[in-house]
Amino acid sequence: MDFFVQQLVNGVTLGCVYGLIALGYSMVYGILKLLNFAHGEVYMIGAFIGYFVLTALGGASSPALPVAAVLILMFLAGMLGAGLLGVVVERFAYRPLRNAPRIAPLISAIGVSFFLQASALLLFSAQFRTYSTPELIPFSTGIEWGPLRISLVRILVISSAVLLMIALTLLVSRTRLGKAMRATSYDREAAAMMGIDVDRVIVATFFIGSVLAGAAGVMVGLVFERVFHFMGFVAGLKGFTAAVIGGIGNIPGAMLGGLVIGLAEAFTASYVSSTFQNLIVFGILIAVMLVRPTGLLGSPVLTKV
Amino acid sequence: MARIGTDEWVSEQELRTEYYTGLTAPARRAFDRVGPGPRFFAFLGICALFPFLTDSAFLVRVGVNVMLFALLALGLNIVVGWAGLLDLGYVAFYGFGAYMYAWVSSDQLDIHLPTELAIPVVVAASALLGLLLGLPSWRLVGDYLAITTLFFAQIFVELALNLDRVNLPWRDEPLDLTGGPNGIPGIDRMDIFGLQLDDVRDYYFLLLILMALIAVGLFYLNDSRTGRGWRASREDPLAAELMTTPVNRLKLLAFAMGAAIAGLTGSIFAAVQTGVFPQNFEVVLLIMIYAALILGGAGSISGAILGAIVVAAVPEILRTPDNARWLFYGALVAVLVATVRPWKRLAVVAGAVIVFGLAVHGLVAWLWPEGAAGESPGGAFAGLLDSWVLIPAENQETLGNVAFVLLVAAVLCLTLLRGDERLFLLVPTIYLAAFVWENRLIEQPSVTRQLLFGAILVAMMTARPQGLLGTPRVESPV
Amino acid sequence: MREPLLELRSVSKSFGGLLCIDRLDLTVGEGEIVSVIGPNGAGKTTLFNLVTGIYEPDQGEILFEGRGIVGLEPHKIAKLGIARTFQTLRLFLNMTVKENVKAATYGHTRTRFWQSALRTPASRREEREVDELAEERLAFFGKRLIGYRMEQPAYSLSYANRRRLEIARATGTAPRLLLLDEPAAGMNPVETHEITELIGRLRTEGGYTILLIEHDMHVVEGISDRVVALDHGEKIAEGSFERVATDPRVVEAYLGARAASGE
Repeated sequence: MDFFVQQLVNGVTLGCVYGLIALGYSMVYGILKLLNFAHGEVYMIGAFIGYFVLTALGGASSPALPVAAVLILMFLAGMLGAGLLGVVVERFAYRPLRNAPRIAPLISAIGVSFFLQASALLLFSAQFRTYSTPELIPFSTGIEWGPLRISLVRILVISSAVLLMIALTLLVSRTRLGKAMRATSYDREAAAMMGIDVDRVIVATFFIGSVLAGAAGVMVGLVFERVFHFMGFVAGLKGFTAAVIGGIGNIPGAMLGGLVIGLAEAFTASYVSSTFQNLIVFGILIAVMLVRPTGLLGSPVLTKV
Repeated sequence: MARIGTDEWVSEQELRTEYYTGLTAPARRAFDRVGPGPRFFAFLGICALFPFLTDSAFLVRVGVNVMLFALLALGLNIVVGWAGLLDLGYVAFYGFGAYMYAWVSSDQLDIHLPTELAIPVVVAASALLGLLLGLPSWRLVGDYLAITTLFFAQIFVELALNLDRVNLPWRDEPLDLTGGPNGIPGIDRMDIFGLQLDDVRDYYFLLLILMALIAVGLFYLNDSRTGRGWRASREDPLAAELMTTPVNRLKLLAFAMGAAIAGLTGSIFAAVQTGVFPQNFEVVLLIMIYAALILGGAGSISGAILGAIVVAAVPEILRTPDNARWLFYGALVAVLVATVRPWKRLAVVAGAVIVFGLAVHGLVAWLWPEGAAGESPGGAFAGLLDSWVLIPAENQETLGNVAFVLLVAAVLCLTLLRGDERLFLLVPTIYLAAFVWENRLIEQPSVTRQLLFGAILVAMMTARPQGLLGTPRVESPV
Repeated sequence: MREPLLELRSVSKSFGGLLCIDRLDLTVGEGEIVSVIGPNGAGKTTLFNLVTGIYEPDQGEILFEGRGIVGLEPHKIAKLGIARTFQTLRLFLNMTVKENVKAATYGHTRTRFWQSALRTPASRREEREVDELAEERLAFFGKRLIGYRMEQPAYSLSYANRRRLEIARATGTAPRLLLLDEPAAGMNPVETHEITELIGRLRTEGGYTILLIEHDMHVVEGISDRVVALDHGEKIAEGSFERVATDPRVVEAYLGARAASGE
């Protein structure tokens, strides 16, 4: 039972991370109908920025500031840096292709992803970096309640993820920007004609999505400790899968999809074998796409013939 | 003269034709007169002569690599260029072909089929796999198909890495299907109807023949009912379907054919390398094949081959600092010549770059000697460059990294500027590029290669989506 | 009385609660030119989509040459002899003019891909036949689509020529029934007149049966044997142009109840 609950916690933690990444994909797809392949790399850069901030502040064993401050700075820097990167990518790799056939920005996105990976390799070398989280936040702290044992780190990760998702939902449903984003995702031209500055909305979408991915990067650094230049690729793939499973373009769907993938991975890795992790995730993707192509929470899109 | 649109306008078309002028006119006219056939034969002739012009087995091996890439690009062209399906799992077919050939021609499963049987088996199996993996294309379009196929490619590598311990009920020990991370070594050399293929040169000619046959076959296929069906399916699947074209079946055919070509290429690759390893089939390779096709021009057979030549040759040239330098500065000059016109402007820019460099070098050497005291890795005209490019003796890596980030920012800014402002920024940017090159990139060919291919994809899509030899496309307003 | 070429019996179609076609009965006899008119949203294009197999009716039957075609894939229906043009043009823009027509012959040709790749004599022969057929179909429109134009990409054509090409492409499928969806849309009076004549020639010279959706009453009046008026998915009138044009229900559908009551 203990083991099961432990895997549940693992799954939820993973699910939160994937959900955050999936949100970025979903939002961008909803507005531009574009699969932002480079999103995974933005997440990776967020993780690296968190690492460098940590190192700059003295490292995990001897931080120059109280732990809480260090964490806040890491998150802020990672999120802002990632957000900025996302905006730059949009401006130079996607905006010129706004009206090009769908295949063009996709290929451009692949190119950006590859370029960013290679840049990370050049700048940071292939060496794995570790957050050394246990020195920062001892694993022994946390909650124990019956079979449930969660370390502080995971509590932190899960709660911040939930907070971010709530913030995003509020943003999209209650603010003017959110309304503009929704309008643009339904019909870009009509939104422009209603006075919405579509370029600004798109930039905001990319920024927010990338900020979430950056947060996810720092979280992964904290929970799994290892940061390396290739981590964006697979995480991006899974994040995208989560977005599709939940219904791409759909915000609660992305979170749900993230949870599904996270739990599936945790349980497969522990009860079956870790080699089949990706296979199972892939299988879920295929199953959902064949049975319900618009995703679990997505709505079918009708086009006029 | 008749008005546009009237029948006389159409019939008087001859009067309005423009003809080439200038020095190169006779050559260009002759080139146009000669059809694609003779041009292709001339190209094949040059390729056939190549192994005899060099003693180096290494260069012939490079030629083999080029042709492997060309075949892969040609196969991908069917799926992406003609049928318009974004298949990001294409490497999986290549890997499958290689592994399948390994299974039937090595000690792994103790099967040693004669080559004349092995190759058709591999091709058929690859085509079948292509059909299978193409099935999602019935329901999924564009982006969804891309992601699913990308996943396939990932799964392939994972299976290759993990199927070295397969537990079968009728066997005591687990079966080692793929050799895991160590792959399958000891693959038989090919033996076609008594002709032993031992030397890399033998494989070069085998590939050349295959490439020629496939290119010609594809050329005919393009101008046929099937080719038109593919292209119509790409243009407007609904309209095509209503014009009697069975779009779904043609999609499957495209997948199967692309897979068959990839599988065939994989089998030859396995024989040349005499071994297959999972690392041979990673995403990097997929990016390179796409870069080749996009660079050359998707939809164009000659484009696929040209792109493959560039993409396969570049990593080889980057290996040694000597050649790499020629490539870098040569490419720089080529880009300048192509983009800065007229000649006077170009001369001014070139002169400014040289002067700027010397000035900066001199200034730094005077103020901070360590900044210019380092030595370049040697090679072509290293001595000349030493007094122009800054090579710091200390902190080379950090400075190089910072410069790299600045360089990317500068290039992005260049795309935002116009006219004289652009030329103004171009000068320090070129110098910065040389700095990054000499201090960081020249020693890291694999990273440079990756940076280059990523950049090619983005640059091509934003500046010239039809590639070098493709024709510009028009999209219907959706 | 000969059996009708196309027959719809009590066909209904809804889209998520919106009833688009409501128990529609329609027949088209061989050699007829029938026009379908009605205000926007009346279900006219949906009708075409049902006949060509893009949608399946929720109820009812569709018979072509006496055989039911509901449930067949669109390319099979096209092969049986029903071709169409589109309200918004849907040409193969990056293919040449001639290739657009040649592409439409897919269903009636037999060359397999390996025969094409090897350029067998049979494949070459069929290519020639297809080529000649395409030129014939294009020549139907005078000199505008032949000559050097045949090798130009379709996106280089003017709007009116694009509409003509779309009709030419549809005839490339060797159909018996042509469904023309607003063929005169966006044309000036001269071009409209030409199109009207063209439709007549399609029947007399080409032998096609034509079902036509049109808003331009000059065309409808000039060419139809029979007119069918739809509104909200229902047939509200049928008969000669004069009868339908003055039918109070039709006037009401287009202009509103007050106009119908003669105010």
